[in-house]
Amino acid sequence: MPSFSHSWLPFIYLYGVGGIFFIGGMILIKKAKILNPAKKLDRRWKWLLYFGFFYYMAIHLIMILAALYW
Amino acid sequence: MESLHGLGTTTDWVVMVIYFVGIMLFGSYFAKYNRSTNDFFFGGRRFAWWLISVSIVATGVGSHSFIKYSAKGLEHGISSTMTYMNDWFFMPIFLFGWLPIVIYTRLKSIPEYFEKRFSPTVRFIATIFQLLYMIGYLGIGLLTLGKTITPLLPQSFAILGMTIPVTMMGVIIGIAVITGIYITFGGQTAVIFTDLIQGLILLLAGILVFILGINYLGGFDKFWHLLPPDWRLPLADFNKPPDFNFVGIFWQDGVAGSVGFLFMNMGLIMRFMSAKNLDEGRKAAIFNVLFLLPISAIVVSNAGWIGKAMLGLVPGPLNPGVNPDEVFVAVTHIIASKGVFGFVIAALTAALLSTVDSLINAIAAVYMNDVHAPLKEKFKKKLQSKDIESKKELNAARIASAVFTGIGILATIPFSSYPTVYEAHGYFHSIFTPPLVAAIFLGAFWNRFTTAGVVVTFLGGSSLMIIGARYPGVLITPIAHGIPMDPVHPYTYISALYNTIVCFGVGIIVTFLQNPLTIIATSIKKIPNHKTYMSGTVVISALLILMIWFNIGGLPLLLLASFVLSFFVALTSVYFLKFNPDAHLEGLTIWSIARAKEIFKGGKINERDGEIVKVNWKLRSDAEEIIYVSQKDMERMSAEVGDLVYISDARKYLGGLKSVHTRLGEPHNEEGVVYVGTEDKENAQFVAGRILTIEKEL
Repeated sequence: MPSFSHSWLPFIYLYGVGGIFFIGGMILIKKAKILNPAKKLDRRWKWLLYFGFFYYMAIHLIMILAALYW
Repeated sequence: MESLHGLGTTTDWVVMVIYFVGIMLFGSYFAKYNRSTNDFFFGGRRFAWWLISVSIVATGVGSHSFIKYSAKGLEHGISSTMTYMNDWFFMPIFLFGWLPIVIYTRLKSIPEYFEKRFSPTVRFIATIFQLLYMIGYLGIGLLTLGKTITPLLPQSFAILGMTIPVTMMGVIIGIAVITGIYITFGGQTAVIFTDLIQGLILLLAGILVFILGINYLGGFDKFWHLLPPDWRLPLADFNKPPDFNFVGIFWQDGVAGSVGFLFMNMGLIMRFMSAKNLDEGRKAAIFNVLFLLPISAIVVSNAGWIGKAMLGLVPGPLNPGVNPDEVFVAVTHIIASKGVFGFVIAALTAALLSTVDSLINAIAAVYMNDVHAPLKEKFKKKLQSKDIESKKELNAARIASAVFTGIGILATIPFSSYPTVYEAHGYFHSIFTPPLVAAIFLGAFWNRFTTAGVVVTFLGGSSLMIIGARYPGVLITPIAHGIPMDPVHPYTYISALYNTIVCFGVGIIVTFLQNPLTIIATSIKKIPNHKTYMSGTVVISALLILMIWFNIGGLPLLLLASFVLSFFVALTSVYFLKFNPDAHLEGLTIWSIARAKEIFKGGKINERDGEIVKVNWKLRSDAEEIIYVSQKDMERMSAEVGDLVYISDARKYLGGLKSVHTRLGEPHNEEGVVYVGTEDKENAQFVAGRILTIEKEL
């Protein structure tokens, strides 16, 4: 069985530190009023950005589980 | 490690030649749709997101990926994909911060941004760093081409009784000469359009290798269980071994590399700029990162995974001592029949060649745009006739291409000391990306960031980077996350974190010290002969740079020299360089993108939601770049006179190939009809009788 430092620690670090960069970017574009919540298209962009983050997180999660248990 | 030679058969070479000729003919056919390269890059802005997405694959995947990721796939398994799957974190600020700035300010090069945002001096410094970055990239590209083609050639050639050995450097020089000829005859436009088809072929070739490999091994289940458990994980071990660890690669590739690629790679940015509008560019980027990058990750790495699984077979078809950088070629040779092997290698080398010649062209363009033209302007040479001047420019561009190709060949020497291209590329990103990344980031996202701050980011940051490289045990170990230090190549990846911290750090500190620096500069201006004193500080700064470069003195002295250098550089920047917030901030930071749109349009923007209308078109006899539609159609588009519109052939599969951006004129009363001028018709290549669509942009 691979060690914790090879299986889950990189995952936690990737989405923890990477998540700080991501959320920081989202806060920045919100403060700069680039995405207008009143516009439907801008609301879609916002949700697509969040979707992308969790989409990659899900892919890595499934791949780690497959490596460990399949 | 054993090096391969003589793998290519006659059938393979025939397939490769046919492929190369076919690709060049394809590019030449599409070139007729562009009236100039400049039109394609900056004025054309016409293509649909899916066309852009495919062409980006060739730009990103086509460079060096097959070789370097297959090598890491063999050595470490599925975790070779991690560098392809860590780009999302910076997408918000790229898509909604940097991309609008680049598009709406019509940037032609990254150094140009530094002139607009700060001053011509900063542009000059940024140009040096940009050229170093691009030459390094070229060196990596040439090294990879050498590693791809060397295994196909015999160990030596016999000519006129002399035996000439085939060495990697010889192959690299040969490739550089062929590339130079390809650029002269093929031209940049042909190169750009071939990327569209190359992207698809690259994906197909990589998937073909994966399918053939799985089939060779006896199915996916067998392949999966032939891989050791550690090889199946998608992320590397957190901090070991030194040549492939998660945390180092996260900072080198996920942070410095991703930001460098998205924010500084003009080839990539130009692709997004060729989209019909900003939203279409965003769609292209999102589709690429969400769908094409995960597929690309499999495509570029799988030969290494198949190779590792093959090593578990008894008897094994793959030599256990295979050079990792040659595993892609070796595995493809085992699993593919004659001809198919030639096709896969042709697809790979053609894409590599395309990337390398695009890079040579881009370097020459940066030189001509950011060095040659400003120098010519500064020395105000007497201009001759337009024809003679244009011939001179062309010759200068050709000489620049040749010189930079030669420098690119020299750049392969330090990179070739690394065991694999992956590590060489990682080292390159760690060193060359942080100063530019810090300067762009702080410039685009922080209004307060000053000219002194950016100059110190480049010069002070670099001096601290050099000291870090000389004393990694003292300066980088504390932030190395427990990665063991390799004494030959210390902290290949995690040095990116140290370099990023020092570049951001000095830039931020100097910006916060702007007021005291201004007070000191103002006081100095009251002293007699103040210009002489300040010129003296420039000389001292140059001496300090030399002292750091040549490692004169121990660490404490070098650190002191670096701080003194940063102070002097900041002071001389405040003293000599003017900064006008009104001119240097408007539309150039994330906080003024609405203003950037107004500058782009040349008037007040119209962002009311409207419909896309379908119309028949009629040709006017004049060449004015303006179209006339009916009052009713204007109302449906929620458009007004003077608005920017995009008018295109309605056939969606053309992806905007026959389209143009123009402006709306006064309305008429013929509903469903648009009157188009001759210039717009020529630019768009509209076909008589075809329906067009019109949509309002701004």
